[in-house]
Amino acid sequence: MDRREFIRLSLIASTAVLTTSSSAFETSRPRDNQKVSSVLFPEKGDMIVYSDRPPLLETPRDVFTQAITPNNKFFVRWHMTNIPTPLNMDTYYLQVHGEVEKRVYLTLEKLKKEFKSHELTVALQCGGNSRSAFKPTTSGIQWGSGAMGCAKFKGVKLKDILNYAGLKESAKWITLKGNDKHVMSTMPHFKRELEIEKIADDVIVAYEMNGQDIPYLNGYPLRLIIPGVYADSWVKMLSDIYVTSEYKEYYYMDEAYRIPDNECECETPEKRVEKTKPLEMMNVKSYIGYPLNGAKIEQKSNITVEGIAFDKGSGIKEVLISLNKGKTWETTKLDKEINPYAFRVFRYNFKPMNKGKVTIMAKAVNNEGEEQPFAHEIGWNHGGYKYNGIDSVEIEVV
Amino acid sequence: MNKIIWINLLLVLNLSAEYTQKVKVPSMTFAVAEDKNIMVMQRNCQWCHSYGYILNQGKQPKEFWHKVVIKMREVYKAPITPHDEKEIVRYLYTHYGKD
Repeated sequence: MDRREFIRLSLIASTAVLTTSSSAFETSRPRDNQKVSSVLFPEKGDMIVYSDRPPLLETPRDVFTQAITPNNKFFVRWHMTNIPTPLNMDTYYLQVHGEVEKRVYLTLEKLKKEFKSHELTVALQCGGNSRSAFKPTTSGIQWGSGAMGCAKFKGVKLKDILNYAGLKESAKWITLKGNDKHVMSTMPHFKRELEIEKIADDVIVAYEMNGQDIPYLNGYPLRLIIPGVYADSWVKMLSDIYVTSEYKEYYYMDEAYRIPDNECECETPEKRVEKTKPLEMMNVKSYIGYPLNGAKIEQKSNITVEGIAFDKGSGIKEVLISLNKGKTWETTKLDKEINPYAFRVFRYNFKPMNKGKVTIMAKAVNNEGEEQPFAHEIGWNHGGYKYNGIDSVEIEVV
Repeated sequence: MNKIIWINLLLVLNLSAEYTQKVKVPSMTFAVAEDKNIMVMQRNCQWCHSYGYILNQGKQPKEFWHKVVIKMREVYKAPITPHDEKEIVRYLYTHYGKD
């Protein structure tokens, strides 16, 4: 080791000592306070934009004070750059084929007129939401925490559609595919797979979102809705259901969107876990919509901390607030539950008596008693999935 | 003001039962570092994605960028030649690298 190298290493070592509580290999808070883009996207308002091709739009924090995320604020994530506009709805089909009695081509009109409709308000979250919390940085979009939303969807039960085509006895799996396409024709489509036996009764093929057509960027005209499950299976611009007798291997099932299959669902960059599993059910999470990080609040004013909480569908039991970095926790008032799959709004009244900085932390507990861990307690995984650390914002009382 | 006009236009669009014309996603500029061989980035990366994908990753070690480039070729089928592979990694590490 020469002298220069020694100095370099000593510097690294001293930095490490100085930052023991947030070393480079500890999960921290996801990025926050990002500027919204001055460029507006079709049917969207002010959003944080990571890319235009394919479009990647994140919802700003202040939207999360309400149970329903408006369509124009709902996050957008596509894998493929080529997203066609379905222009002629007479020839837009949802095709069901494979191990079925009859191959069917369903138009939007047929689905609306000839099938029973169902409505469900449900939270939707990208598996990589809050990914920027993981260190070292994993590949994938470095989302803050706004790659989630909750909307009232209306559509047709997936089971009704499958029964309409008539499942053969050999039918075990379905492959779902949308109309978005990659630029390179050799790149496989974005395909997801579901085991027929496990398809819940409330899985729907939606054609409406918050009382309107589903926005183009959120998957017009049809989108799969799977309550409680991460968004990677909520196929957008759905056009093809292929029924098979056995599991098919696809890139987006067997390579991407997987986490370590161990109890902590964690690993290290040096020692990756070989056995992996799909993301599936969402873990319990809460997020503060008001006040924002860095907000200045007047001393002795009455403020109401507001935010949302949700989980896989067991429902939110309570959301707790801490004003002393987690030493003690106080209960919040929860709005009426829409259903266990929807965002639940929490409110906490508070009057800051002393000037200075205050950290407001929020922690949700679900009906199974599972609660959010502190960020630093969350282990790393190579895809940066499923972050659900206790949220915090720092305000300044002036 | 411009924003308001846009929002109004889009609201009208959204109320209609279906789209009557192709929805156009705006084209944005994600400014990346100038370089003597910026051409290698232009001819390899932008077919499929914006430079936003690069900027979003932040500064990364050389090995990280190399893995990304290999993934673009192996998984996403980008026709990256061995020569360009080296140049892309050099570009990314030079401008968006850390040790």
